[in-house]
Amino acid sequence: MQKLFRWASKWWPGLIPLAVMWGFAAWNNTLPVEADLSARSSAALKDTVLDKTRIAVDGRDVSLAADAFSEEGRRDAVMAVENVPGVRLVEDATRLVPEARPFVWNAERDVVRVTLSGSAPLPAMKARLVEAARKELGGVEVADQMGLARGAPPRFEAAAMLLLDQIGKLKDGKITISDTKVSLSGMARELGGREAIAAALKNLPEGFSVATNEIKAPPYIFQAYKDPVAATVTLTGYVPDNNVHAAIATGASRKFFGEKVVDNLKASVGAPASFNTAVVAALGALSRLSTGTLVVSDREVKLSGDALYEGAANEIRAGPGKDFPKTWQYKPEITVKPAAGPVDGTVCQQLFSELLSKGKIRFEPKRANIDPDSAGILDHLIETALRCPTTNIEVAGHTDSDGEDSFNQALSEKRAQAVIDYLVKAGLPANRFTAVGYGATQPVAGNDTDDGKAQNRRIEFLVR
Amino acid sequence: MPYLVSFHLGWLVGSLLLGLAMGWISVVQRGNGTSKVTARWLAVLVAGLVAASLTHVVPGRFGYWLDLGLIMFACYLVGCTIGAWLRDRVVSRSARAA
Repeated sequence: MQKLFRWASKWWPGLIPLAVMWGFAAWNNTLPVEADLSARSSAALKDTVLDKTRIAVDGRDVSLAADAFSEEGRRDAVMAVENVPGVRLVEDATRLVPEARPFVWNAERDVVRVTLSGSAPLPAMKARLVEAARKELGGVEVADQMGLARGAPPRFEAAAMLLLDQIGKLKDGKITISDTKVSLSGMARELGGREAIAAALKNLPEGFSVATNEIKAPPYIFQAYKDPVAATVTLTGYVPDNNVHAAIATGASRKFFGEKVVDNLKASVGAPASFNTAVVAALGALSRLSTGTLVVSDREVKLSGDALYEGAANEIRAGPGKDFPKTWQYKPEITVKPAAGPVDGTVCQQLFSELLSKGKIRFEPKRANIDPDSAGILDHLIETALRCPTTNIEVAGHTDSDGEDSFNQALSEKRAQAVIDYLVKAGLPANRFTAVGYGATQPVAGNDTDDGKAQNRRIEFLVR
Repeated sequence: MPYLVSFHLGWLVGSLLLGLAMGWISVVQRGNGTSKVTARWLAVLVAGLVAASLTHVVPGRFGYWLDLGLIMFACYLVGCTIGAWLRDRVVSRSARAA
């Protein structure tokens, strides 16, 4: 042992080269050691759920700064770094993600993009929500402005996913989850969208409830366009169901005597109340125009076009008839078609015959009251009568052979007179017209079929 | 410790060889070594440094350099001891033979 001490007393000169070596070793290895420990620490944290992780290594001491989502996760992260071989000390600069109170999440849709904002509970869930929004809205830009926070209610993800499914049904609007309350506002993309969203909200996960649902439906649009050149009436837009569809189609074909009805209507829910009555009345007004457009948007009816003469224009401006619902708005923009040039009696007769071959003046069964559906053809007859002001016209009434002859005779006379009254009311001088009733004495078809009887029930205009 | 050893293996082997050489020389070297007092002070200094290293009081890079220095110094001492012991055996065998 003494020998060892004697030898050891002479070992000191070696300390000088050792110190030099030490200096070189420190010079050479400090940065590699730090880089190696940084890489190992990052690898150790790979499976932990953290946000904003920053690792700084000074010598063998690691400083770990990160946002953790639970106390346990925070502890685990620090422990994982402490267990990395070679790490001497860990400076714990981690903190818990702040708790959001209330926990608010928003999905907002405008014309060009969907913006997700508010808080998400975990980074992975945040990514899933963005992914779900992209999938739902294929092609629309999804802007992610969500932050991370603790305090999400249970089953938050299921609720958010369900609401993201609804955002595709919105044209614009905002969906908000505030703790367990869901609020929606905006405009549905299509008719029926509002109802579909309301139905989907019934499947919200347990604990969630709808605080406000202010989704509006888009306007319920019905349009009709009367084109005199193509001789068509085109119906587009929506009708509530097949029954109303059939009623409107039948009504249109009765009112538009000379035009083909092109029916492009689609059935959809969401029609305002009294839709059928209002549309049928408005179509009646449209049938009196030479050319015109009818736009029904929710409870607003806009009618524009050219009436055939001044009196008709005034009547159409006054309203579409007594059946039109009072709660609806009527906005007419009626001008008068420039009067056509005067013609002589022969041409007038020809025009009357053409009109009455295309359509006919209808009456209530067995009575002399003119059916309102005949307003269109009557306007055309009046317009024609105005073109030959010097002629006298015989209005002849005919009936089918059903019933007694005396009744039919009286009925045909009354109906002819009713037509003349209508013409006089429209502004034509009463002395130009004579009412004649022929009863069933001049049939134009056999009275043995319904079709033939219908042809025999008629009014004729004869220029004298 | 295993991490430090494996990462700096080359330098530690170097220290050990330096120690071996110094130990080998020290057995036959004439002249005075360090005095007892100096040796004691040196021992106290080293003990202090070891304590500082174990308690991790030196922060950051300085702490790392201290650990590295001490572990190299330890290798040096082990090398010296082995070198001196080997040389001593050689010397005593040749003395016996003479």
